[in-house]
Amino acid sequence: MLLVFPLAVTWLAAVILAVLDGRRERVGYVAVGALAASAIGLVALMVDILRDGVAQQVAGNWAYGVGIQLRADVLDVTFALLSVVVILVATVFEVLGRVRSRVFPALACFMATGLIGLSLTGDAFNFYVFFEIAMISAYVLAGYGERTRQLRAALIFIIVNLLGSVLFLIAIAGLYHLTGTLDMLEISRRIPVVNEQPSILLATMIFVAFAVKLGIFPFHFWLAAVYTGTRPAVAAMLSGALANIGSYGLLRFGATMPRELELGAPVLLTLGAASIIYGGFQAISCRSATEVLAYSSIGQVGYILIALGIGGHVGLVAAVLFSIVNSINKTLLFLAVPLRGWLVGAVMAIAAFSVAGVPPSSGFFGKMGVFRAAVADDQPLVIALIFIGSALSFIYMFQLYNGRFWDISAEETRDGVVPSVLARRGLVCLLAAFVIVIGVWPEPLLYLSEQAAYAIENPIQTEPIPDQLAGD
Amino acid sequence: MTLAYSLAVAILFGTGAYMLLKHDLIRVAAGVVLVSNAANLFIIAAGLSRGVVPILPIPGGERVADPVVQALVLTAIVISFGVTALLLSLIYRVYTTHLSLDLDDLSEADERDESEQELAQLTGRNVSRRAAP
Repeated sequence: MLLVFPLAVTWLAAVILAVLDGRRERVGYVAVGALAASAIGLVALMVDILRDGVAQQVAGNWAYGVGIQLRADVLDVTFALLSVVVILVATVFEVLGRVRSRVFPALACFMATGLIGLSLTGDAFNFYVFFEIAMISAYVLAGYGERTRQLRAALIFIIVNLLGSVLFLIAIAGLYHLTGTLDMLEISRRIPVVNEQPSILLATMIFVAFAVKLGIFPFHFWLAAVYTGTRPAVAAMLSGALANIGSYGLLRFGATMPRELELGAPVLLTLGAASIIYGGFQAISCRSATEVLAYSSIGQVGYILIALGIGGHVGLVAAVLFSIVNSINKTLLFLAVPLRGWLVGAVMAIAAFSVAGVPPSSGFFGKMGVFRAAVADDQPLVIALIFIGSALSFIYMFQLYNGRFWDISAEETRDGVVPSVLARRGLVCLLAAFVIVIGVWPEPLLYLSEQAAYAIENPIQTEPIPDQLAGD
Repeated sequence: MTLAYSLAVAILFGTGAYMLLKHDLIRVAAGVVLVSNAANLFIIAAGLSRGVVPILPIPGGERVADPVVQALVLTAIVISFGVTALLLSLIYRVYTTHLSLDLDDLSEADERDESEQELAQLTGRNVSRRAAP
């Protein structure tokens, strides 16, 4: 029941909202209510899992091994909750201003459905289906503004990500062919005994698919156009929630194919390093605020890759921790940048400190996690890289701050400033306060990442699925 | 049989990937269709097995053809159909607003938009600076 509720409530709401006119304020608040209910359900599920261990259930009363498995451990629920909270905040932000498109609330709910679904499912193909639900709503949202720029961004976004999705689908079919099952736990049990060559090929395809979602260095070319082209709430959703598909997918499939992940570690480290350096320098050279943020996203996901590449318990903890912190930072930044008026400067300063990793902001613990992993693994080059990356992010964040709030004449004169809606500014302030609270009292977050890493390393023992159904 | 399947998948995927690199949006859409159908064919190929139709009752002792891939490919076909429809509608909107289906034209229009905006900002700034005491 607890396992199905968060998924069902957003799904139902999305279907109902799809026929209503989302431009009305009331309809917007229905979406907000559904997302909030789903978030509360996920919190209850989290409490339940922390107490009793992994929750699982076979959908539709099918026999075990035949039906689709729903399975939730701490890692799954952490990412589902993170995505829903980000979408909730972005939707509230949009509703507080004015929703311009009639489908926006429904699409927000559909995206939440997809993201919760792919976290809570234990079936690789079902993962793909929910992944596509989230992606399709993102495709429509990317074209939300209807200007040339947004249209072009949406086109690039669809074409590139579609190719990524197709690669992922092929990889899943390949996994099924290799192991004879679609259950991810069962795959992880059977994959060590199959031939190495095909499994490495499949792992590479899965990595490319998620790297495209995350916007890691050689797969980043769609990212800047899309993040700068869309509206702030949509950009926040894409970078704060949808990109989680990438980090969660890498963690989850990394746990499914640990041998392949270990073999790919040098690649992860190299690409992560390239992302950090490339994203940092590009961000410094940019003038427009959203462009800086877009390139900063490319740089920041590099740390997740580095943490994964280092691997081991510390590496996994760092990857989870950094993903959470990064996603909150990005949401805050994309929502705060277009705002004007009192307090927005303070919010931006907090966000800038968090991205650069200065205490007492949550970003400090994210960076520290990666740093600790690098030290534990004795990788001086990586340690140096983290310092360089932080220095770069410090420079571009304060360039951004400088251009935005000190050099007012560059944007508009002081008299011309029209303050944004008070409620919107209040929302960003709340989010900024949350960033500080995490930074001052990080224990819950650290505990959660610790538990999530533990869940990856010690998957539950399920009874093996009989093999006679699969043709081999 | 396996060779025939893999050749077909390879040709479909290769042609599709080549079409994706074109400037013409209709060709890009066709490329998307080809690539996703290559994936569908690959799914079928992943479960190639000989046997009787997997419908109950199954004659005792017979091997059954794998039914899972059929279910998978049906889902995948529906998804790729939906995405293709979305892509085509987006392309149609591009056509109605720009009367062109060339990606180059679109980026040119985008640049024009931006430079117009910058110009407006620049002139607006100058005006306000002059107005300020």
